[in-house]
Amino acid sequence: MAKTGTALGCEPVIGSLTPSKKREYRVTNRLQEGKRPLYAVAFNFIDDRYYSVFATVGGNRVTVYQCLEGGVIAILQSYVDEDKDESFYTLSWACNIDGMPFLVAGGINGIIRVIDTGSEKLHRSFVGHGDSINEVRTQTLKPSLVISASKDESVRLWNVRTGICILIFAGAGGHRNEVLSVDFHPSDIYRVASCGMDNTVKIWSMKEFWTYVEKSFTWTEDPSKFPTKYVQFPVFIASVHSNYVDCNRWLGDFILSKSVDNEIVLWEPKTKEQTPGEGAVDILQKYPVPECDIWFIKFSCDFHYNAAAIGNREGKIYVWELQSSPPVLMARLSHMQCRSPIRQTAMSFDGSTILGCCEDGTIWRWDANVAP
Amino acid sequence: MCRQDSRIQLSAEEAIAAEESLSIYCRPIELYNIIQRRAIRNPSFLKRCLTHKIQEKHNKRLLMTVSITGIMNDGVQMQNLLPLYLLLVSPVSDVVVAEHSAVYRINRGRILTTSSKFDGRDLTQANFELPEINKLSSDARAAKLALLLVSCGGTGSSVCGGGLDKDSLDKASFPSSFGGYCLWGKISLESLYMSLAKCGNLISTHSAEMLSSVAMHSCFLEPGCLEEGNSISFKIPHNSRAMDLLQKVQVNISVQEVGAAERSPYNSYKYNNIPALSLPHIMRLRAGNVIFNYRYYNNILRKTEVTEDFSCPFCLMKCASFKGLSCHLCSSHDLFNFEFWVTNDFQAVNVSVNTDIWRSEIVADGVDPRVQTFFFRSKPRKRRRLTNLGQNAKHVHPQGLNSDSTEVTKDGTCEGLIGKGACISSYPLPTTTSKVAEPSNQFSLKRSEKDALSNKEEKEMAHGAVFSEKNLRNENHKAESNATESLCATDSTERVASSPNVIGLSTATVQSSVGPECVQPISGSNHAPIAFAKTRKLSAERSDPKNRTLLQKRQFFHSHRAQPMALEQIYSDRDSEDEVDDDIADLEDRRMLDDFVDVTKDEKQIMHLWNSFVRKQRVLADGHIPWACEAFSRLHGQDLVQAPALLWCWSLFMIKLWNHNLLDGRTMNNCNLILERYKTEGSDPKQS
Repeated sequence: MAKTGTALGCEPVIGSLTPSKKREYRVTNRLQEGKRPLYAVAFNFIDDRYYSVFATVGGNRVTVYQCLEGGVIAILQSYVDEDKDESFYTLSWACNIDGMPFLVAGGINGIIRVIDTGSEKLHRSFVGHGDSINEVRTQTLKPSLVISASKDESVRLWNVRTGICILIFAGAGGHRNEVLSVDFHPSDIYRVASCGMDNTVKIWSMKEFWTYVEKSFTWTEDPSKFPTKYVQFPVFIASVHSNYVDCNRWLGDFILSKSVDNEIVLWEPKTKEQTPGEGAVDILQKYPVPECDIWFIKFSCDFHYNAAAIGNREGKIYVWELQSSPPVLMARLSHMQCRSPIRQTAMSFDGSTILGCCEDGTIWRWDANVAP
Repeated sequence: MCRQDSRIQLSAEEAIAAEESLSIYCRPIELYNIIQRRAIRNPSFLKRCLTHKIQEKHNKRLLMTVSITGIMNDGVQMQNLLPLYLLLVSPVSDVVVAEHSAVYRINRGRILTTSSKFDGRDLTQANFELPEINKLSSDARAAKLALLLVSCGGTGSSVCGGGLDKDSLDKASFPSSFGGYCLWGKISLESLYMSLAKCGNLISTHSAEMLSSVAMHSCFLEPGCLEEGNSISFKIPHNSRAMDLLQKVQVNISVQEVGAAERSPYNSYKYNNIPALSLPHIMRLRAGNVIFNYRYYNNILRKTEVTEDFSCPFCLMKCASFKGLSCHLCSSHDLFNFEFWVTNDFQAVNVSVNTDIWRSEIVADGVDPRVQTFFFRSKPRKRRRLTNLGQNAKHVHPQGLNSDSTEVTKDGTCEGLIGKGACISSYPLPTTTSKVAEPSNQFSLKRSEKDALSNKEEKEMAHGAVFSEKNLRNENHKAESNATESLCATDSTERVASSPNVIGLSTATVQSSVGPECVQPISGSNHAPIAFAKTRKLSAERSDPKNRTLLQKRQFFHSHRAQPMALEQIYSDRDSEDEVDDDIADLEDRRMLDDFVDVTKDEKQIMHLWNSFVRKQRVLADGHIPWACEAFSRLHGQDLVQAPALLWCWSLFMIKLWNHNLLDGRTMNNCNLILERYKTEGSDPKQS
């Protein structure tokens, strides 16, 4: 297990909390969707026709909106799960073979709903997880592949087109508590990082199992007959945090992850080729986020991972420039009436629009001021 | 004919070739010796039957012949008494009866008539079989036995004549035809024995004769009402004293001891039309001598052997009769073809080796047993457990037999199966057309024919169910680990799948479908069920419609993937719960081994090969280790000898096992010999 070591001269760079005022945002809209908390909001990055479309989940409802000019938010579609007690925690955009966007949502019931937004119908439901689903992510290189992190300590890889559960990342080397977050590597299609309540971040490789992934695309039989494989051993286990790790994202080959320590950490997993599972962690940078000490607060990035936006317990949003060193706080967004925890944010393709969904059921839209 | 000298003049080369061709008998006989040794503790059904027959034949019995010589009475004529029923009865003690009545259970019944009176058959004497005299006198139950003489008087013939259709009365049909007024007399068997024992004649001459007179009483006869209906009860009228002793019947009882001397079928053979000259010739044969002609060298040559007591030349089992012998041969030694001959002069069997390679159970030299197809025959329905030999009887392939001799086979089978020791009647003659079976046998004969038919169906079904060797391997392997030494000693080229009960045999062949270099987790075999996966049989319960509907009622999930299962998956017999995904396990094993830093690459490779082998072959116990080492040497020998470093690691590992007393020196030597052979020949040493 990789531990953080701080050698002399290798201390992580910590960003300053003084906003650079490079970019300024102002509230352009506030929407009260309902009384129930909203746990996720996400722009559609899969299809460039729909970059302005986003969706939120809260309770048993999935809602699709469009961001229009001048801060207008138009509601497009709304789906309600037949189970009143369903509470969706996460959503992700995926794509059908004909290019129609899919919405993949999961929550407390552990059933992943794949909604075909083209036909406005439920496309599939994935059963298999034994407990609630904490995050769903889409492989942008192959938008039919979706990965889910669950309270049942497993991560599953699905093919939304054929409805197959391809791989299960769990077992002897798997997580020892709820998996809270999972992310595909942006360029290495075999790599996946997951993190959870066992305070670890695990990096998995599907390289040896890739034939099964390919097989899932041509599978014509009953999905239940697919030889689902267990990936029991991750290639890398990192103990960067000492508490729940509730969000992780790849930034190139580095990993951004956060715990409940009021900061996002950027670190490099240094795997040794010969000895998988072992390796060192090099912490590169830290992005402080004050009052961000409760778990299940997730950050989001724009399409190019130039910036990350993260809400906090008090309803403020911090926008960090990710790829500069030392990190630069681009903006701190706060509003008098926005005081409840922001569970997740969404940055638009170019980062000009930031959405925050709050526990009180409101959606806040922030737009960057057009540079004069 | 069989002893005619068939030796042809052969050249030296031909003589050698002939000598070699005779050796084709060796392998089957070797195999039969093994089977025989195994079956010592648990003899087959057929063998038990035949042994019982031999024992019964030697048992002593008494044959009691009863005839009526006259009636000591002036008033009533003898004609009026006939037909007279002779009943062997035992008194029914547990039934409370009135004072003047007697209830008996009928054991056996015979009827006496005069000539032309009853169905045109002359029956002036009746035969009863009784156990040995010592047994009778010691057995309390036997002491109670009595012989009843019952006459229905003048009207008797009209009352019971129509109801009786056989000379020997069935227990069941007898009482129903009775009823009404009759005369009855009684001879207690006890007194009979007493007098027999007194006269002492029986011991010296094995036969005795005595006269006794029986008083006939008049009474009312009513059919019994016991559950079987085979009892008889008499009501004696109170005022019949005057009528008593009216009649006395003189009965001649002769008792003969039978079975004391050995009786071979030839003893009862009637030499009516045989010239007196050939009689001594037959006498030589009578002890149950059978001539065996072994054909070899393209059926040109033959060797002749004579066995006594109808014993089998291969396993020396005594078969009681020629029919029993033919039965035994066909069922137990079906690797040979048999032709059975019986003439007045001799009884002979022509033997040749069954060259039908197609279903040969012995793998010929130079044939890799792994590529052989084996047949798995399962018992299609539950039936009385026939042991190996009985089972084999089904597989008899009457190749060289003509239709007549097949008849014998079937017949023989049927006799072997029915074979009840109770019948002491003379054995059916060992003729080829033994259709002259007793009518009572007829039914079972038919049944056995039907059986033979269904066997044919089974055979065809078995054809459909050609299991690859792999499927049997699991069991093979299990049986192997504790297989008897004798089988282990024979080389792996010998493979027998003779019957489901004896699957266990030694083969050191191992599954090698996944090459040793399987780094890829996919070997194309992922959704094809893993061949050696164990499947539990649940079909019996699953086929039940009630269970089926229960299964339909709820959704089932796969035990590994937690994916909902389709109905057909639920109904299928496959239970994958215990399955190990070998590809993935191999992968993980490699990864685990990669973690070791103080182990060389070669050592890791050997570890990996061994781990993977042990997992796939389910080497679980210490006792499996010797087998595993040999099999491992065979499986990977080729690769090992090409990489000396690997070979070195393997040898070290074996030494380690030997250190821990898990491997004996002999097996280690065997392994090294196998590897040595790989090294020198570079060929497959399995064919040695």
